[in-house]
This record gives sequence, C-alpha cells and structure tokens, in this order.
Amino acid sequence: MPPAVNPIYLDHAATTPVREEVFEAMKPFFGPRFGNPSSTHRWGREARAALDEARERVGRCLGARPDEICFTSGGTEGDNLAILGAWRALKEKGRTAVVTTPIEHKAILGAVHQAAREGAEERMLSMTADGVVDPASFDQLVDQDVAVCSVMWVNNEIGSIQPIPEMAATAKQRGALLHTDAVQAFGKVPIDAQKQQFDFLTISGHKIGAPKGIGALFIRRGTALEPLMHGGTQDRGRRPGTENVAAAVGLARAAELTLADWEQNCARLRKLRQKLEAGILSRVPDAVIHGKGAERAPHIVNVSVPGTDSESLLMALDLRGIAASGGSACQSGSISPSHVLTAIGVRPDLASAAVRMSLGSLTTDECIDRVIDVFPALVAKARQLATAEQS
Amino acid sequence: MTRERVLVAMSGGVDSSVAAGLLVEQGYEVIGATMKLFCHGEDVPDRPCCSLDSVNDARRVCEQLGIPHYVLNLESRFGHDVVDNFVDEYARGRTPIPCVRCNTFTKFRDFLKKADAIDARWIATGHYARVVDGELVRGVDENKDQTYFLWGIDRAVLSRLILPVGGLDKAQTRARAHAMGLEVIAEKPESQEICFVPDGDYARILEQRLPADAPALSRGPIVMSNGAVVGEHNGFARYTIGQRRGVPGGFAHPMYVIAIRPDQRAVVIGTREELLGGGIVAREVNWLSDAPRVGDSVRVRVRHRAPLAQAEIVRLDGDEIELALDEPVSAITPGQSVAFYEGDRVLGGGFIEASRPKRGVLPVLAA
Repeated sequence: MPPAVNPIYLDHAATTPVREEVFEAMKPFFGPRFGNPSSTHRWGREARAALDEARERVGRCLGARPDEICFTSGGTEGDNLAILGAWRALKEKGRTAVVTTPIEHKAILGAVHQAAREGAEERMLSMTADGVVDPASFDQLVDQDVAVCSVMWVNNEIGSIQPIPEMAATAKQRGALLHTDAVQAFGKVPIDAQKQQFDFLTISGHKIGAPKGIGALFIRRGTALEPLMHGGTQDRGRRPGTENVAAAVGLARAAELTLADWEQNCARLRKLRQKLEAGILSRVPDAVIHGKGAERAPHIVNVSVPGTDSESLLMALDLRGIAASGGSACQSGSISPSHVLTAIGVRPDLASAAVRMSLGSLTTDECIDRVIDVFPALVAKARQLATAEQS
Repeated sequence: MTRERVLVAMSGGVDSSVAAGLLVEQGYEVIGATMKLFCHGEDVPDRPCCSLDSVNDARRVCEQLGIPHYVLNLESRFGHDVVDNFVDEYARGRTPIPCVRCNTFTKFRDFLKKADAIDARWIATGHYARVVDGELVRGVDENKDQTYFLWGIDRAVLSRLILPVGGLDKAQTRARAHAMGLEVIAEKPESQEICFVPDGDYARILEQRLPADAPALSRGPIVMSNGAVVGEHNGFARYTIGQRRGVPGGFAHPMYVIAIRPDQRAVVIGTREELLGGGIVAREVNWLSDAPRVGDSVRVRVRHRAPLAQAEIVRLDGDEIELALDEPVSAITPGQSVAFYEGDRVLGGGFIEASRPKRGVLPVLAA
C-alpha cells in the first residue's frame, strides 16, 4: 500500500538519484555521438574528444592530471584495481604486506583477503571506539615491508573521517603506497592530489548524482600497477575494454556540480543532521549514536536503540514510507550485525539494533520532522513488545 | 477503509507463493518475508549466502504480485532452537523431528514477533492445513496434510493465522500459480528433505558438530532383544527405529532396528513383530483445543502420512501423556511426534518419549 504521505529517502550513502544536468549531459552519447573512442574516423573522434574532456574534468576535481584518472565501473572495481594491482606489481620487490582497517567496505576487505590468498601478509589497523584509526597502530604496522595500505576516508556506515593527508605523508616516508576509498568522502572533505600524498583514490559516480556503473580511480603518475583485466590498450592498458563514454561524461558533470557548492551543501546537511540527532536523543535519551566523538562527514547518522532490532525497525520504517538501512546487507538481503560496528567494539545487541540514515539532496526539514516523529514512536512500540515478551 | 495487513512466510516454493497471491486477491495488504534460517558458508564471508535461490524466487514472486519483500535473519534462533536440538537428540539415541520445532519456535513464534513489529494483524504460511472457527483442521488434500508438523504451535497463534492453500490440493495450487502468472515457481519440485540437510546426509551434520569420540558416532554392538550380540555398528546416531539398512542379514525373517540403547551404545534389532508397539508415552504435550481427559479416545498419528490409529488416554500428568493403542502400531520412535486428532480437528500433540509393549495377553476388544 502506498504510504499516506510522501516517502522519505534517507539512504543517500547507498545511492543517489541522477542529477538532471548529468542526465542531459549524457544524452548525446546515447544518440548521435555514439562512436567508439578508439575509432579513428569522425564518430570515433567525437567520442574520444568527450572522453578526453571528461578525464580532464574529473582530474581537475581531484587535483590530478588527466593521465592519473582511470575510469572504472565503480567503487568496487577501483578498490580492487588499486589493492590487487599494487600488490601484484610490488610483491616481487620485497614488499609483502598489505595493511587496512577492519571498518572498510567489503570491496576493500575482499581485495585484501584475495591478496592474502596470493601470499600477502594481511595487517589490520586498530580502531578507536569512535571509528578512527589508532595512530600508534598505523605507525607500527605501516613499515618498509608494506606494499599498499588502504584506509577509507569517510566510513560509509558511521561517517567517521580518517586523517588521510597525514597518513599518506607517513606512508610515503616509508615507501608504502597509500590507497583511500573516497566514495563517501568526495564532496564532503577537501581532496587535492597535488597537496595530499595518497597514491590511489577511489570515487564512485552513483553516490554523487551520476549513474551506477561508473567510477574513477586516481593513480598517481609513475605508480606501479598490474591491471586486473587483459585486452586492448584502452586507458593505457590499465583498464581494457571500450570506454563507457556517456557515463564518464556523466561522472565529470556530477563531480563538478558536487564541488561547485560542496561547502554550502555540507553546512546544510550538518544542520539537518544536528536536528535529526537532537530530535531522536530528546525523545529516546538512551539512543546511541555511533562515532559521535569522531570528526564525521555531515550526511551519516548511525543510531542504535537498546532493546530494538534493526531488521524489524527497518521494515516498520519502510512500511511507513521511510527508507533507511541496516548493517551490511548480504546477498540474500538479510541483515547481519555490521562488521564496522563490531570492529569498533559496539556491543552485539546494539550492533544488531543499528539503523543508518544518510542525508542528501532529497532531504528537507520536513523529512527530518517526520522522522523525528515516527522513529521514536516505532522504537517505543518495539520496546513495548520486547517488554511484553519478557514478562 | 484500510486493509488488514498480513505477513506471509515465503520460502520461494509454490505453496507459500500461491498463499501470498490468494491473499492479494482477497484484498489484504500483503507483506512477503523469507526467513533465512541457516548458512553453511558462515565461516566464508566472501561466499554468497546459502538458500539464496529460494530467497530470489520469493522476491521474484513478490515483485510479480506487487508486494514488498523482506528477508528475516533468524539464523541464530533457528540454530539454537532447531539445529542444536537436532544434534542433541541424535546424540541421545533419538530421532528428532526438526520441522515440528521449526514451526513451534521459528515460524509461529519468532515470525509472529516480526508481524507484531510491523503491526500486521495476521500471519500466513503455505501449509496444507486449515483454521476453522479458531481450531486447526487437516488440509483437504489428504496426501499433503501437514498438521502432523503443526501440533506444537501456541494455541493463541490460531486467532492470527491464515492458511490460504489448506483448502486446495496440490494440483489446484499449481494451477493457481499458473493462473497468477507465477511461472518461476509453478512447477518447482516438492522439497522432501530437511532444509538444513539438503543432501539428506544428516550424519555429516552430526560429524561436524559432535566431538570425534562422541558415543553416538562411535562403534558399538548390534544386539538382539535377548541381548545376543550379532554384529557391530559405527555409531547409533546413524540408525533409526524401523530401519533395515545396515542391519546384519542371515536371519529367518527380515530384521529391523527396534530400539537404540545409548547407555550401552547398542542398536537393538528384531522382527517386524517386535517393531510393533501397543502404547505411547509422550512429553512436551501441547493442546490446540481444550485438553481431553483420561479415558477419552483420540486418533493418533506417529509419523507423517502414517494412517490414523485409535487410542485411549490412560494417563495425563502435566505435559506428559500416555496412550494405549487399540491396534498395535509399527516403529513408534522416541524423538518423533505424536499428533492427536478428533475427526479432522487437531487436538494437540507431543514428542514421543517411549513406546509401550503390546497389550498382548489382554487385547482390548471394543468396549
């Protein structure tokens, strides 16, 4: 049954709608400018020009040169290419360890586990209870044996921000490559490859108003990298296969639009989030907001209410027209306690009660008002049921 | 007018899919949910989940019916209430019946809580059984009737339970699936096995979960009822009452497992005659109607699809019951269920604790 009022989308960290301007920018490449950028005739040249331009524009958004931008299918591919590509290129040179954090996206953890299966020594950084890497652990684990270290800039579940520029500088001194998954960070923290010393950086289109299926990996010039796929010479052989010209153009447009007003946007989201958190805490004083003590990106709230479970809450929210998310949904769609919350020491009962709400372009004051109204009511009901069961 | 909300347990099979479709046709606000109950790959996080195909089928059906679909993770509760018990029972020399415990604890208790959480007035499943005037009644398809597995549910659940396919036979259900356009699942084969033992090799589950030197999986004697040792077995948990496979040959009559004596690690064999029991002791008895009294006569079923047998209640003691059978019944197996009926109504049931010998010298003739 359609909800009585307008549905509320609070899952911008999962994906975002394609921006109108982005859609418009892409259209010609589904029509007259359909050419293959590798072709030498006029159709090819038209596509090639658009692709080259898109590469330059994405590069500018990151402080990078065009040849440092590799278009990918999205965040997962970028993460895999960076970690496995770097590890495979460096393993013969005595750099045998791969470092990461236990709060990474599964794309990173999966790639690191694969490197371990290929012989890498896997090292996990320690985390604080607020979801920030323990600096002493970083200092200890990132040594001269490390091929690549990967730390996500903004955590997708709790929003905690890592000091990537400082970490990148330390890694550089020790000769280790540093990769950062910046899928949630782009448009939320200042990123500049000229000033910051990371070697790889992943972004994803659909988190910033471009379509699904496009992303980019920044690869610092001169960095060793073994491609994942083999074939043609597209993207200098780093990523063979005919390029997705339309989507690359869309990514470039979305990245520019995102950066054009990112500070105002962050201020707006921060204000909305403060209101949301304050509203929840005033009605549910024992609600726990994860990562609250850390510096956080402004679009993510992850809250657990003791005595509830996220599976039931998310269903009830959805049936009231409010879209939020739980821990990591597995392939079947069932929700397991989040590995991120578990890794930062959140109690199991709280981890399995976690609800992530992520704000963005569709979020208004009215949305927050309704959530502040509905969420505490659903929580009260869930707790009432839990109490009735115990008595 | 707001429609009444119903949460349907959807396995991805034809019965629960048609159940959901019928409720949509009847005008309910239907919410589909698939319970994720186990995952063999739990130690391998990179691998896709088990039971993924059934989840996908259920989701496709919900998409076609235009209703929301959720996946409910009941793994840890199912693991505790059903799988752990399954292993414990075999370790004690009994033959467990996990479907009954799944219905009792998982499908009609944990699932109901999820319905509460979303304010659903009703829950529904694809069981072949009916609820008539607040009582559980056998499904109209005699072959498919599943009430034998449902005796353990909380009586209060009946007032919130809809069983939409209980009035159909299997062929009609399949026809309805086709009529609804649910071609994905309309001809799906029946699932006959225990869901968490998909290859039927239950002993492997025991080997994984019990210590290597567990008595239930260790060698022991095969004996006759008079105590004579006639062979050796490699674990009494690999045997169940009524079984012929693994029983030594060379006797005048076919021999069957007639008892398991875990304290002696012994598997007892005997003739078809010795397999017969004249009475039943059951525990954890649950009533779905007002409890009968000692001396009342009921019909009992000791195995899925076994014929109904007439019996008299000779003792009622808390949640324990003893019945005397009018005619002896074969292979009354501790750990299995006994369900009690009056006509088509399910009165209740219990877990079989023991079989009592035939009345032999004093056959009860009709009073």
